[in-house]
Amino acid sequence: MKEITAIILMSISIIVPVLAQQSEQDITTVQPRVRFAPLYIYLDSGNKSLAAYQFELKAAAGQIKIVGVEGGQHKAFKEAPYYDPAALANDRIIIAAFNTGSELPKGRTRIATIHLQIIGDAEPDYELKLTVAADADAKEIPAKISFEKGERK
Amino acid sequence: MSIKRMFFLLAIAFGVVILLLGLLVPSLNRTHKFSTSQSNHFRRQIDESDGKLPPPPAGRMDWYRYEEAPPANRLTGGSEIAAGEKISRGMGGYNGSGVAPSAGQPLRSRRVGGRIVSAGKPLSEEAQRLEERRIHSGLLSVTADEIWVIARPETQAVPADEDTPGCGAMLAKLPKGDKEIPLPLKHTDVKGQISGYIATVDVTQQFHNPYDQKIEAVYVFPLPQNAAVNEFIMVIGERKIRGIIRERKEAEEIYRQARRQGYVASLLTQERPNIFTQKVANIEPGKNIDVNIKYFNTLAYVDGWYEFVFPMVVGPRFNPPGYTDGVGAVARGKNGISGQKTEVQYLKPGERSGHDIAVTVDVDAGVKIEEVKCTNHVIKKIFTSPEKLSVKLSSLDSIPNKDFVLRYKVAGKTVKSALVTHHDKRGGFFTLMLYPPESLSYLKRAPMEMIFVLDCSGSMNGKPIAKAKQAVTRALRKLQPNDTFQVIRFSNNASQFGPDPIPATPDNIRKAIRYVENLQGSGGTMMIEGIKAALDFAHDPHRFRLVSFMTDGYIGNEIEILAAIHQRLGASRIFSFGVGSSVNRYLLDRMAKLGKGAVAYIGLDDGAGEVVDLFYERISHPALTDVTIDWGNMQVTDMYPYHIRDLFVGRPVILTGRFKGNSKTTIRVTGKVGDLTQEIAIPVNLDDSAAAHQGIACVWARKKIETLANQAAYDNNPDLPDEIKQVALEYGLMSAYTAFIAVDSSRKTAGDHGITIAVPVPVPDGVRYETTVQN
Repeated sequence: MKEITAIILMSISIIVPVLAQQSEQDITTVQPRVRFAPLYIYLDSGNKSLAAYQFELKAAAGQIKIVGVEGGQHKAFKEAPYYDPAALANDRIIIAAFNTGSELPKGRTRIATIHLQIIGDAEPDYELKLTVAADADAKEIPAKISFEKGERK
Repeated sequence: MSIKRMFFLLAIAFGVVILLLGLLVPSLNRTHKFSTSQSNHFRRQIDESDGKLPPPPAGRMDWYRYEEAPPANRLTGGSEIAAGEKISRGMGGYNGSGVAPSAGQPLRSRRVGGRIVSAGKPLSEEAQRLEERRIHSGLLSVTADEIWVIARPETQAVPADEDTPGCGAMLAKLPKGDKEIPLPLKHTDVKGQISGYIATVDVTQQFHNPYDQKIEAVYVFPLPQNAAVNEFIMVIGERKIRGIIRERKEAEEIYRQARRQGYVASLLTQERPNIFTQKVANIEPGKNIDVNIKYFNTLAYVDGWYEFVFPMVVGPRFNPPGYTDGVGAVARGKNGISGQKTEVQYLKPGERSGHDIAVTVDVDAGVKIEEVKCTNHVIKKIFTSPEKLSVKLSSLDSIPNKDFVLRYKVAGKTVKSALVTHHDKRGGFFTLMLYPPESLSYLKRAPMEMIFVLDCSGSMNGKPIAKAKQAVTRALRKLQPNDTFQVIRFSNNASQFGPDPIPATPDNIRKAIRYVENLQGSGGTMMIEGIKAALDFAHDPHRFRLVSFMTDGYIGNEIEILAAIHQRLGASRIFSFGVGSSVNRYLLDRMAKLGKGAVAYIGLDDGAGEVVDLFYERISHPALTDVTIDWGNMQVTDMYPYHIRDLFVGRPVILTGRFKGNSKTTIRVTGKVGDLTQEIAIPVNLDDSAAAHQGIACVWARKKIETLANQAAYDNNPDLPDEIKQVALEYGLMSAYTAFIAVDSSRKTAGDHGITIAVPVPVPDGVRYETTVQN
């Protein structure tokens, strides 16, 4: 009987730490997948020259974190645009840029790239809203904003 | 024992074994290749990649390979050295994780190829022998030429000894030199623009990877203690990615993920208000990545002189025994040995990192600039108009080992625009430089009890202590017959000239000067002992007690010291003198502010007598005390500092706050000089666009953060960190609780993050490496 008790106790003493380790690993494995991807923002100002813009972006579904903001393709908007840090606290980003030069883009142009961290497997839905687009005289101009996902599948 | 019983026991034992195997197999399936049970780092890496093993990291390619010989041009010496070092240093096990490798673990590598190469070239025969010896010494418990890798460290790889290149154990040869030194940071470019008393500074750090493997560069660097860092841009070729301000832990986690997944990323964190860490991950071989940081700060203004300071190097800090939240000072390549949360690696005397610095400063003073001084650097200056000046650091003086201090004197007794404002959607912000009334300079002071506290630690050894002794000697000679004095020295402990303050008789002063002349610098910087000795004795109610600290401030436990000053100050006033070429201005400024006194700096090329004379001129007149302000129609709120300190002759104070008014008004400042009441009237026009500056909102937010952080030094209010964090996030500013992160998600580099390389820095000019750096 003594031998059986010894074996059972020994088994428990070995199993408990193993189970603890196993449960620790289970906790770490349930962390959601994290990936990084760019989101390209385009603005089409038709035949008007684009001198300034402001837009707002947020994820309507899915979890994202903005990890960088890059400028656009035209040299007038090449510099990294500014964002409003106060707005960022509410899980959205407000981005704005302007250029006072004479060489300004017309038509469809990429105005910014938003670098994102995407958390989880769900594909995020983005809500993109153009607040204003303006010409060199600071007059509001009609424009259409759109985005393209840059994530490689 | 019967046969039946034996079978019964065997059956139970067999069952237990089966049960254990059943439990262990899934776990082994997950980790079998690396035996990583002790490596949280690697386990996380596996888990986060859905159980898939990551590719072997480039920086450790040789260790992960089974049979392949190392390619001829691969930098493998460092990797092998790093592992060898861990063995030889006996950090509790082969990989520093406390667990020795055991037979049967499948991941292993051989030292194949027979030679260790470095910088693409085979090492010399002697170096080969050294490498052989080092590696072999670590293999005492390992079979022949097999080397086991359990995991690599999260932090930097450690080189073998000081003769081998450190900082991640990678080497590069200077084209004309025979010394092998790491070169992860190529150049720092500083462009300052000064308008009135507000500076806007752009700092560009140019990181470069000269190696044939990916690297992560880590650079601990200083900025002014009142810098409001609000912009961070990572530049990759022509692309510019603006960094995002986030909670520090969140930013660190994003960086860790991006780094691990192979994305180029950079992270800026604040270790102290004047010490920052820059990390840049996944710099590919031969590639450059620039990081641009922008900040605003207010300039000091003393006796008609403005002072613009750009610190270039973090001085080697002393941390008291048992303290781990400090800033360690270690020799190049000896990362981790200080046991401190932040660590700075220093180059040995005679070594040069190749990192240089360029500084240009454009000044628009608004009034005529009468005189310009830069005592510790060679500069070129060009006046574009009587009010405008352009200053450039000479290319012959580009080693970043001392503070760049530019002083310029302007015409008139006050600045042109004492009040500077900024309006935006958040409302109005202002800063006001408040001057003491002219009449103070005609009044004489009351008797004093002067306490001189001299830092005699190892970092002060040499030129700094000589300067400090000159200053104290000069100050002793300036004492008046009604004064009393005491001289206290501290290093590992504190001792003093006499048991109590004694009258300033000529004989006592002579004896004290002899005492000061015999002081030497050595040992640690137990500043707390100096604080206790200076503040913990009965105050003479008939005298104004003034405590002068002469120190470089090279300590890592600043918060403890500031808390002690707050607790023990009593009726004393603290005047801190920073002595040296690159002093801890954060500590000295805060000591003076908490001590309701003032701060002065004595550079190694400054005349100590001149600084002390100015100081004595100031304290030879009474201060304006009990200062209150009537803001007129400004409707001021959130003013910092909360309480206006005493105003000394020649030493204005800067106030910052928010306001709602927008018209002409008059600010009235009232205070007491002894029993007399004094009033100063300052007419202001809040609509004056010439007195506007876009950085004022950031300056205000930074001042609020500083005030809250000061309060946190002695107040256990658990809400303070959150409050600091909220302000920093709202205004996009660096703080102890926020960080800037930038990730280029558009391209993943091949492999994982490679080897971490810390940027070693020179010890500040005049500081002795031998007495300050842990080796």
